[in-house]
Amino acid sequence: MNETVTEDSRFSRLRVLFCAFFRISMVAVGGGLTMLPLIEAEFVEKRKWMTHEEMVDIVAVVQSMPGIIGCNMSVAIGKSIGGIPGIFAATLGMAMPPFVVIVLIAMCFLNYSDAAWLNDAFLGVRAAICALFVLAALKLGKSVLKTPFPIVLFVIAFLILVLFPQLNAVWVILGGAAAGLIKYFCFPAKGEKK
Amino acid sequence: MIETLTGSLYLFYIFAKISLFTFGGGYAMIPLFQSELVENSALLTADEFADLVALAQMTPGPVGMNAATYIGYQQLGLTGAIFATFGTMAPSLVLMTLAVTFLTAFKESRFVKALLGGIRPVTIGLIAAGVIFFANISIFTAPIRNLWTGAADQFGLCWQGCVIFALILFLQLKWKLNLFLVLLIAIVLGMILCRF
Repeated sequence: MNETVTEDSRFSRLRVLFCAFFRISMVAVGGGLTMLPLIEAEFVEKRKWMTHEEMVDIVAVVQSMPGIIGCNMSVAIGKSIGGIPGIFAATLGMAMPPFVVIVLIAMCFLNYSDAAWLNDAFLGVRAAICALFVLAALKLGKSVLKTPFPIVLFVIAFLILVLFPQLNAVWVILGGAAAGLIKYFCFPAKGEKK
Repeated sequence: MIETLTGSLYLFYIFAKISLFTFGGGYAMIPLFQSELVENSALLTADEFADLVALAQMTPGPVGMNAATYIGYQQLGLTGAIFATFGTMAPSLVLMTLAVTFLTAFKESRFVKALLGGIRPVTIGLIAAGVIFFANISIFTAPIRNLWTGAADQFGLCWQGCVIFALILFLQLKWKLNLFLVLLIAIVLGMILCRF
């Protein structure tokens, strides 16, 4: 932000950040990535506060950092539009609607979770989610598992997770990170290292 | 009072830890949730956890955060919900702020590239393990683990689960439907098919 931005317009930017994330979070059913097109429409196309290229950069960072995608997104966009206060405006806006909805559901649901019809309904949902996970794995697999190294890592990680459910999954991820570092610095492929 | 506070801090810690090791969104969180909540601390059973994920998918907002809010509330009421939710957001708040501040350096970092080269394939392994987790409690009658731990006679297929699984897979491959609609179809089918 430059000096020409007055206190007043700075505050109104924060308000817009909060309201936009509140609205987007309320309609984004099914996870953080579903927020992406809505965020792009609001801040790039409608308000022109960011360029499409900035948005692409941010999405790349969001997907390579750990954490909840929706939250990574609100932090990144809030920071680039409104600085540190922007982070809090956007993140608070993003977090409030689901928090309220979930607390309300938890209040009701805890009393009904033994109903038989609910179990039948949930059997259906579990099977559907199983299918959604298959699709997600296929989609990601197509873009990542192209050479032997990632394929081997994928197979090992999968087998460990399924065969040793007592093992904390954190170790599998740390193992993957270590394998990535060893591969990159000890056995660099052509063009990877100067 | 003190118990609520330690309990809340524990929830904060668990969810911050899960979130810190989640790369690429909610789907890859399942094995982490399972390790921390079902295996390690026994806060939830596998069935309760699965229903929770279903609920988190169907409600607005990020799936991982929804799950945290719900578990937090279930364990320690409103205080628990606030601590658990804030726990999932803590790593993002710190790490993303740093990453965006040093965006150029981050984008060109060979170290980050090397790390992700190893983490990305593992993430797909986590999602695939998520498939097994949900298959165990929907399209199979008992965990598939039974097949190699000597309890194979208890293993079978649940035909209702198989039908719904195959149908949703087909629908999604053919027309990419809205997620809410998909889950609605699954709920209705579950309630109808289980009558037989």
